[in-house]
This record gives sequence, structure tokens and C-alpha cells, in this order.
Amino acid sequence: MKILFHLGVLAVVMILVLPAPGAVMAPDDAPAPAMAAAAPATPGCGVANLRIVGPRTKDRPLPLMSGDGEHGFKPACRVSWTVLSPNHEPLSVEACYRDSLLQIANDTACGASRAKLWVSARWVITSAGPATQDAKVVCQQLETGAYAGTRALKPPCVPGNPTPAAPTAAH
Amino acid sequence: MSATAAHEHAGGRGLFIESLLLASVALVVLNFHPFGSAHLRRHFSQDLIYAWFGDAEWLHPRPLKTAAGGAAPRAVVMLVDDAALALRGAHWPVPVAFHAQLLNELEVLRPRAVMLDFLLLDRAPSADVCALLVAAGQLRTEGIPVYLAVTRQHDLSLLDDSNCADGAGKPLRAGQVLTAVSVRRQVDEGDFVSRRYPFEQPLEAGEQTGGQGAAALTSAAVRIYCDTVAAPGQCAADLTRGHSPDAGFDLAWSPRGDPFNRRWSQADCGPTLPSLRAMVDRAMLPRETGCPPIATLFASALLSPAADSALGIGNDELFDLVEGSIVFVGGNFRASGDLITTPMHTLLPGVYYHAVAFENLLIFDGEPKLREEFRRFPVGVDLYDWLVLWVLAAIFVWRESWVGAEAMHHGGPLAPSESARAFVARLIARTPVALSLTLLVIASLLLAAYPFLQLATLVAAIVTAVLIEIRVASRGELKMRLRNVALYLGALSLSLTVVAFAVWFGYRWMRLPPGDWVGYLSFSTVGFFVAHTAIVDFGRRVGSIRLANRSTGGP
Repeated sequence: MKILFHLGVLAVVMILVLPAPGAVMAPDDAPAPAMAAAAPATPGCGVANLRIVGPRTKDRPLPLMSGDGEHGFKPACRVSWTVLSPNHEPLSVEACYRDSLLQIANDTACGASRAKLWVSARWVITSAGPATQDAKVVCQQLETGAYAGTRALKPPCVPGNPTPAAPTAAH
Repeated sequence: MSATAAHEHAGGRGLFIESLLLASVALVVLNFHPFGSAHLRRHFSQDLIYAWFGDAEWLHPRPLKTAAGGAAPRAVVMLVDDAALALRGAHWPVPVAFHAQLLNELEVLRPRAVMLDFLLLDRAPSADVCALLVAAGQLRTEGIPVYLAVTRQHDLSLLDDSNCADGAGKPLRAGQVLTAVSVRRQVDEGDFVSRRYPFEQPLEAGEQTGGQGAAALTSAAVRIYCDTVAAPGQCAADLTRGHSPDAGFDLAWSPRGDPFNRRWSQADCGPTLPSLRAMVDRAMLPRETGCPPIATLFASALLSPAADSALGIGNDELFDLVEGSIVFVGGNFRASGDLITTPMHTLLPGVYYHAVAFENLLIFDGEPKLREEFRRFPVGVDLYDWLVLWVLAAIFVWRESWVGAEAMHHGGPLAPSESARAFVARLIARTPVALSLTLLVIASLLLAAYPFLQLATLVAAIVTAVLIEIRVASRGELKMRLRNVALYLGALSLSLTVVAFAVWFGYRWMRLPPGDWVGYLSFSTVGFFVAHTAIVDFGRRVGSIRLANRSTGGP
């Protein structure tokens, strides 16, 4: 039925508009809009004491890179987070390359005789970075009527908890 | 005997012969292109159909499903641009080491397959090439094939390095870890739009494949699609068998942008216009669709969370998009010239060509639409067209015979009656000549200068004509007019039903692209048969002569 409806609509328009069958019309020559990626933001690299607090790879191995900005980067190996941090402790970041790569203080994860390795900022959660910016900010209204929120909270607070009821008498 | 008078007694035999004659003429008209004009008309008709109805399920099926009913792998485009290269300290042309890094990063997301739409023909440092082969080898070990664009089979050997070995120390050859695919494009003559996709690229003279004799290089989308089905070899053979080396299948382009692209596109990636509104708004010309139909991720978003920080704390959206998908990696560099023109996009990075072709193979279950000229039996398509036109012509002849000679003398069921003509003539005659001519010239200039007035004027003219008919025509004239209009609409509905069935059958079962649909409709709705009734008149004269010869005992 839908195809019949579409054809019916097409037919009505053709009756009204088509000058003659067989007419050749020129294609639209409007220029295409430019494809452009969003301009990169600038979190991460400039933060002091930047640390990697965990992976975000669905428990898959982390791809590590070797090299540097001057000579180029190359894939080095893949290792699980526990290889880099056996005790699940944060890793200190030695250097950062254009918000993309973080250098860790580890030169043995991919075998000996390699320089310090790099990991993509995409695959790790850092102490200050897009991941923490994405993190949920919690706020709630206290029984005193005041609002309390975690550090990244920006007003206004829309509390997730219901408005506290009037205090009841203690038993 | 005039053609119109003969309508009165067009019996069953007359209907058969006259409709057959009309259908034959119509078939010639539909395919008449001594200077190639029919091709352009068909292409344009096809573009219109996709621009208006390309979002419809029956024309462009979604969601994608495999033959077994499960979810089919999704095509995802990853665009490498200057921003992405800068994130790793690289610049155009894309260095081989960058591809190695990208494959290494993509491995985390576990795509179904990766295609690199880059020609790696320039000599690169051995260490970089080896890094690429190792990364591709790692992916292949995990069941993720990597396809590489080549101009000919021999190109892969440029990446071979005797010193390259995998983690176990075994030598790595490019042919072991990379699958060579052709990325040659086809465009339509005249407007250079990429509406068709080649099945394969014939080998150049003297080229051999692995010592097994000459074999064509399969196109990227065809090879990738066939590798996703149960019998890849059979699939490729079925798709390419019997076609000429330059054959290609037609691409159905959807005007609907992929919702994922909302995160970066400046164009609207929301729902498309309803068909009726699209037809009125677009005024017979397909307009630019700014949002690509394939989900697109910029490589910079993969390489840096700063480029797109909204892909989820755990990269959930990234995994949802890429995991299990076919990732087509291509360049988005204006200076590279890797751009295509599609029926809906003036310029689009070339990698979309392969992604859309792959999606076409998926949605049509490995049986994409095929033009007449690339078929094994092209006359079969013409026969089908002829049968459809014959039925439409029979409806036309039947309608004309019912309308009767009296109505035909007045120019058909939709022409003004004698009373209405006389009324309008009197009205114009009472107006001073100078005034009526001046008004005519001004109206012509306005209509020519402001096209938006044309449709409004047409509608106003129809309404005015109806009102005049009601005002001046006699009761008998009105009754006959209403009867004829009812017959006309009835015949039109019947014709549309036939066209709908023909379109559905041809598209679904004969894999015909919609190039002829507007042609069918022009015959059924615009009264194109009327212009060609001379052949019917001629046929009747021949019939009369034969009848006379028989009655006189002649030959």
C-alpha cells in the first residue's frame, strides 16, 4: 500500500508539474558543505601530577607505542593493565604528546632494551582528563536545606534525591 | 477513418492490436537515445526516486539483517585528516607508520574487518612497513582481516621486506596478512556521478596472480561482503559471473544521514522529509544531503579523547559503533583529490563509495541492482518493459473507447468544454486588445522570472477552469464531464496499480534500478500515449485495406 501511495503522490506531482516526459534536467550544482571534525579541546597534558588511574578498554590489552615525537611512533606491544600496574595503583605520566599519547615510567613491558613506552589517552582514565569530565557529578539536597555536591559540580544543582521530608521526632 | 472515431468500436481484437502498437512505440520512445539522452534521463529519474523515497523501507531496506535473520555487520567510515595526523606528529601523505598505529589502536575495538583505502605505493622505511605487517598480522591472528587498496595485485609485493618477522620469528609477507582489493571507481558518462560500483578490476596485460593464471582483482566492497558470507568463493563467482569486465552494479543512495554523525556534522542528520514534502520542497531537483549515510568516526576522535570527549567514560559508544563492524579507513584531505560525486552529495571522501557499495550488497542480500546493459540477457529487461507498457496501453485504449468520440472531439476528458471556451473567449474579446496583450506579457515575464509562481498559477488555473465549467456548462455537459473524469481517474488508478506492481516486481525480483519508473509513470499519468495515437490510426488504415482486399478477393 505504501508503494502505491508514493506512486500516487508522484503521479499527482507529475500531472501538475512535469512539462513533458523525456525532459533532461541539469543536476543541482550547489557546492558540498565542507566536512570538518570538531576542533580538539585542550584537557589533559597541562595538568600537574597527571596520573593514569585505570584502563577503559573493556579489559582488553592496552596497545603501547614506542618512539617519540621527533622520530615518530610505532606500535610496540599489547599488555593488560595488570602488567603495567600489578597492584592496580595509579601510574605516573612522564610526558604527554598532543593530548593523544601519555608516556609511562615503564620501559620493560614490551621486553628489554626499549625506551619508555606510550599509551593512548583514549584507552586510559587519568586523574584529570576527559574521562573525569565525563564522570557523573552527584549532588543532593541535605535535610538542612543546603546542597552538597562532588567537586566537579557546577550550579545549579538538580538533586537526584527527593526533597527531604520534614524531620520526624526521634524515638 | 479517424483515430478518435474508431474508439467507439474498439472491440477485444482492436484493443489487443491497438495497445500492442502503442506499447511498441512507447518502448522505442522510452529507449530512444541516438545521442545518449536516454541515459541522462534515466540517471536523473533514478536520482529523483532516491531523493524522494530513498528513506522508504521498500526502496532502501533497514535495519540490516543477514539472510539468516541475524544482525549484519555495520559499515563504519573512519576518516583520517590533518588533525589526526598531527596528533601523532605526522603529515600528508599519510605515513605507513601511522597506518600501523591506527591498526594497533583499532584492534582494541575488535572490528569485524578493516579496509585501508590508501595506496601504499611509495617506498617507506623498512621498520615502518614491518610495523604495519606485524599489526595487520596480529589482527589476522584474531580473525580480523585487513584489506588494502591496490592498483594491481603486484602492489602488495612493494611492502615485502625480507627482514620482517612476526613475534615468533617467522618471516612476514604482505600477501599473508593483507588482502589486496581494487578501489577503481566507475562514473556515469555525462555527469560523472558515482552511481555504479564495479564488481572487479580486470588484470592488465601480462599480469599474473600467484602463478595460477590470470584472475581479475575483486573490488573492495565485493570482496569484503563475500568474506562475510558462508561461501566466499561461491559468492564472488556468483556476483561476477557472466558480466563484462567493465560491469558494475547500481548503488542505492539513501538521503537519510546516519544518526551517529550528529556529533560532528554541521548538516542536519535528523529524519528526512516525508516523501510528499520532499517532492514539493525539492521541486523536481534532488538537493544536497549534507549528512553522510554511513556512520563516520574521525580518526582524531579515536586517537585522542580531547577530540571527542563524549564517547562514554568506558568508551562505550566507541565500542558500540566499531565492535563487529566493517571499518573503512579513508582520507579526508581536499588536496588529495580523493573525492566522489554522488547523487546526493556534490563531494564526499572516496572511502564512502566502498562503504555504501558494501552496504548495498548487504541490504540486497548479495543481489544488488543491475542495469540492462550489464546483464547477460538485456533483451529480457526490454521484454519486461514492453509487457508493462502493453498493459498500460491497453488501459489507455480501453479508457478512450469508453470516453467516446463525442468527448474526444473536444480534446479529451480534461479539456475545457465548448461552453467554457466560448465564455473565456467572450471575456477576452470584451477586454481592450492593448490591455489584454499587456497583461499577457507581464504575466509571462513574472512566470519566467519567479519560478515559485508557476506552480501556484497552475493550481489557480485549474481551480478557475473548474469554477467556469460549473458556472457555464449545461447540466448534460457537466454530467458527461463528470463521467469522463471518473473514468479518467479510474483508469489512472488502475495504471498506477500496474506501475506499482511492475516497480515492485522489477526492483525486488529482477533487480532493476529505478531508472525507468518515471518513464512508466509518464505514460500512465501524463497521457503520453495520446501523443502517439498516430500509430493506432495507421494500424486501422492498414486493417481497413486488408478488410477491403479480403472482401474483393485480393491478396
